[in-house]
Amino acid sequence: MPTRRSFLAQSGAALTGALLLPALPGCAPSNPLAHIKGQLLGPDAATGHLLRDPSKIPAPTSTIETDVLIIGGGVAGLSARRWLHQHGQTNTLLVELAPETGGNASAGRNAASAYPWGAHYLPVPDVRNRELLEFLQAAGTLTGYAPDGRPIYNDYHLCHDPEERLNIEGHWQEGLVPALGLSAADQAQVARFFKLTEMLKTTIGSDGRDVFRIPLDESSTDKEYRQLDKISFAAYLDREGFTAPALRWYLDYACRDDYGATAAQVSAWAGLHYFASRKGSAHNATGADVLTWPEGNHFLTENLRRQASAPIHTQTLAYDLRETATGIEALIYSVATRQSTRVRARQVLLATPQHIAHHLLAAVPGHQLPPPGALHHAPWLIANLTVVGLPQGPGRPLSWDNVRFGSASLGYINATQQSIKQDDGGPKVITLYWPLTDEAPGPARRRAYQTSYAEWLPRVVAELETYHPGVTPYIQQADLWVWGHGMVAPTPGLLWGAARAAAMQPVRNRIFFAHTDFSGISIFEEGFYQGIRAAREMLGTGSKLE
Amino acid sequence: MAELLEVPAAEAPPAGPAAAGPEARLPGLLLAAVAVIATCGLIYELIAGTLASYLLGDSVTQFSTIIGAYLFAMGIGSWLSKFLEGSLLRWFIRLEILVGLVGGCMAPLLFVSFEYVASFRLLLYTLVGLTGVLVGLEIPLLMRILEHRYPFKDLVARVFTFDYVGALLASLIFPLVLVPQLGLIRTSLVFGALNLAVAAVVLARFPETRPYRRRFGVGIGAALLGLAGLFGFANKLLAYTETLAFQDQVIYSKSTPYQRIVLTRNPRELRLFLNGNLQFSSADEYRYHEALVHPLLQALPQARHVLVMGGGDGLAVRELLKYPRLTSIKLVDLDAGMTELFQHNELLLSLNQGSLNNPKVQVINADAYQWIRQDSARYDAIIVDFPDPGNYSIGKLYSAAFYTALAKRLAPGGRLVVQSTSPFLARQSFWCVAHTLAAVGLHTIPYHLYVPSFGEWGYVLAGPDTHWRGDMSPLPAGLRYITPATIHDMLRFPPDMSEVPTEVNQLNNQVLVRYFEEDWGPYVH
Repeated sequence: MPTRRSFLAQSGAALTGALLLPALPGCAPSNPLAHIKGQLLGPDAATGHLLRDPSKIPAPTSTIETDVLIIGGGVAGLSARRWLHQHGQTNTLLVELAPETGGNASAGRNAASAYPWGAHYLPVPDVRNRELLEFLQAAGTLTGYAPDGRPIYNDYHLCHDPEERLNIEGHWQEGLVPALGLSAADQAQVARFFKLTEMLKTTIGSDGRDVFRIPLDESSTDKEYRQLDKISFAAYLDREGFTAPALRWYLDYACRDDYGATAAQVSAWAGLHYFASRKGSAHNATGADVLTWPEGNHFLTENLRRQASAPIHTQTLAYDLRETATGIEALIYSVATRQSTRVRARQVLLATPQHIAHHLLAAVPGHQLPPPGALHHAPWLIANLTVVGLPQGPGRPLSWDNVRFGSASLGYINATQQSIKQDDGGPKVITLYWPLTDEAPGPARRRAYQTSYAEWLPRVVAELETYHPGVTPYIQQADLWVWGHGMVAPTPGLLWGAARAAAMQPVRNRIFFAHTDFSGISIFEEGFYQGIRAAREMLGTGSKLE
Repeated sequence: MAELLEVPAAEAPPAGPAAAGPEARLPGLLLAAVAVIATCGLIYELIAGTLASYLLGDSVTQFSTIIGAYLFAMGIGSWLSKFLEGSLLRWFIRLEILVGLVGGCMAPLLFVSFEYVASFRLLLYTLVGLTGVLVGLEIPLLMRILEHRYPFKDLVARVFTFDYVGALLASLIFPLVLVPQLGLIRTSLVFGALNLAVAAVVLARFPETRPYRRRFGVGIGAALLGLAGLFGFANKLLAYTETLAFQDQVIYSKSTPYQRIVLTRNPRELRLFLNGNLQFSSADEYRYHEALVHPLLQALPQARHVLVMGGGDGLAVRELLKYPRLTSIKLVDLDAGMTELFQHNELLLSLNQGSLNNPKVQVINADAYQWIRQDSARYDAIIVDFPDPGNYSIGKLYSAAFYTALAKRLAPGGRLVVQSTSPFLARQSFWCVAHTLAAVGLHTIPYHLYVPSFGEWGYVLAGPDTHWRGDMSPLPAGLRYITPATIHDMLRFPPDMSEVPTEVNQLNNQVLVRYFEEDWGPYVH
């Protein structure tokens, strides 16, 4: 039974603002959210859905030719384009549905700061990932190598301190692993888990390869470890006695953060990969450090784009693919000019999610893509909030990543973290991440698409109020973005089952595939790798033909 | 158990109060009083917590211990309530008057006495305890007054409903309306008056109070007048207490977007505080500024162009102007409020000798880090005089990345000097600055001196070599501290300040802020 005592204690801890919202929903004149400006954004679903009914699209009026047509301008497509360009294949055309390339690493900007609409950081990479290091060097993120051979990273791109904090019952602790108020037994479990993952970082399989690597296709084929892909991470944790609620919350948080799915939904191999695959090292940073930019990974996709100079058509939908005697004929539709064009290509790279590739290949036999819906893609809500203050509870100050223990969302990052300006109390932009994992991806996606800005806003504000009671009056702007297919989740059996390997097999050396859906893990490194893998396959084909 | 068994009996419709008429509304009045006193009760608790955090720092500890003490005191009050016998309504009115006076005066009393009482915490917890006991008496007493007017289940439901509604109201209006609009002192007084108003209304509306109505009425009136008087003086009280936060008379205070500037004076000296931290005392600032400027300039006999980062008080520039050979001095300070004050205030102009108005001097109000990354000029000498690295924002101005940007602006053979906090009180911090400068390829010469109002203070001179040892060129005439001999002394570090190993301060580790918190921690708490 609630007592006056507990009520007072809670009020004293200032639940104020959180209570304000449900208390005053009907009072139109004093709507506490009336001062917040903003809009609901998202990928162009209407144009995308034309794919389901191409009869609404006008017939092509012209024809162009290219060696390589790349469909999809996300990380994988841009990475393939760059690789092809750097290896002599400059006759490419990339088409992208959105107004800008970058895929889910897109970004926005307002008077206060640039901010991400999707992925926003890259862990300091493993030095063995030479391709990635070369790319980062060309982007100015890696500035050189120390005499000991370790890379030196640009100080302005390494995430500035303080990096992470966790709100537990109103108090902000340093780091995201819960430490405040844990029993000795629970602390021991946390320590045991991290001892295990530290050990797994250096574990080598029977074939001499690392058990966990990024890109994951370079991981060991050792059955002892690959069988971990057959059970869920939650089941594995139960089996191994990792039951402390605080640890399980944290691990579930990690899965939602990287995979948009819970520990019960992803495989044990994937859950452990999150912790045991980050083997970065640097002269001026630790393996735990990350690289980040105000605009998030849009910085990386923009650099991928700039490192090649072949044409890109944005706001362009590819809607029909047919095989001809000499290659592939694709029909593309420009949303801007409302005209369709026939593209004759020798090779086509489908750098799209698998369900889009499946649609496009309706008339092309011989591919081994799984049917649409086979993969688990959770919808995500991302909110960029411009705030002129964040009422600060006790403990650690504003950090780059700010999470609340038990929170429904993943917390927010401070997009202005990398600013070198002294704090003048001016507006900041914070980016709230929220994978919608409460129901199955299909229903969650339909519900998310049907939810209006006016319905999202109170939920987002109420969520932020649990982090910063009383923050509502300080929010100037709240722009929201819904990703229907946020990212692929590595459900049990996906990573090391036969279907994934089969799906990425090229079709008659004419159609190729690159996307993180083919990795099963949606991180920048995988998209980057998928692009290079596909580009190498294409170049190999090209040289054989010539 | 006996009481519980009686409950069914109490559920029978009560005889009297169900009847219509003015009497019937009186229990309702008492229920409304529950909401008001619950609001007041929570407000006092929030005031005490907030004030303790303001004045003592460490808001977690303060809020937590205040809430604990307050709730415990309420428990004592609740227990004590059973000893109150006789006319309960009379007790209730007495109680409201007392709560109004004690709670209402809590914030003004705590503010004013902060500097005066030897043990502020004792006073704080006494007041919190007293208020808590009185507030704890209220609800049990009211329930006893109402116990025959409602069935027990209704009574409990209604009293606690109003109690919690009042608590909600308090928790909402305190941060959103009261603190921003009224401030703590006036909030405290207004809610004291509300308790008195409850006493007055109950006194006026219940017929059984007739025998003592006049006597209590006079008491309530006098108490209200007292609170109103304090309300009128709230501003003077605040000005008084800001003076009390400093030892001396505050002669100037201003809040800029970046900091609160406070100037105090006593017969001997003028002191400048930024956000409560002493920046200089006119009695010995010459030591600090001579040591900041002259070793660097003595090491650079050819210097013509100088950049000063920070130092908006113009005191370092005053020292620079003792070298006629300098042709340009640029001063970059974030805060226009600072540089304007030191360009226009007569008292301060006599201190910096109008240095910032000298035609050789260009004052630029800009963010130092952003500015230096965009600047393309070269300087023979750069003087870095920032506040101590007490937070992550300022910590960036002590990072290897910042020093790299600075070093790029040095002319060939140029040098820079950095004020580097105290090598005695903050030994790790001092050496961390030196190691960070060394990490970007500069050769460092650390030195230190004693500034009475600061204690032992340190600097790091950095440049292409370590050849300078205080003997490169003559010093200007008229210096009060720096001579070739004192420079020689400044270069020696006794064992208690000698070099300690530290990490390099980088944007991605900000170790300096962490060292600084560790170093100063023992002195602050």
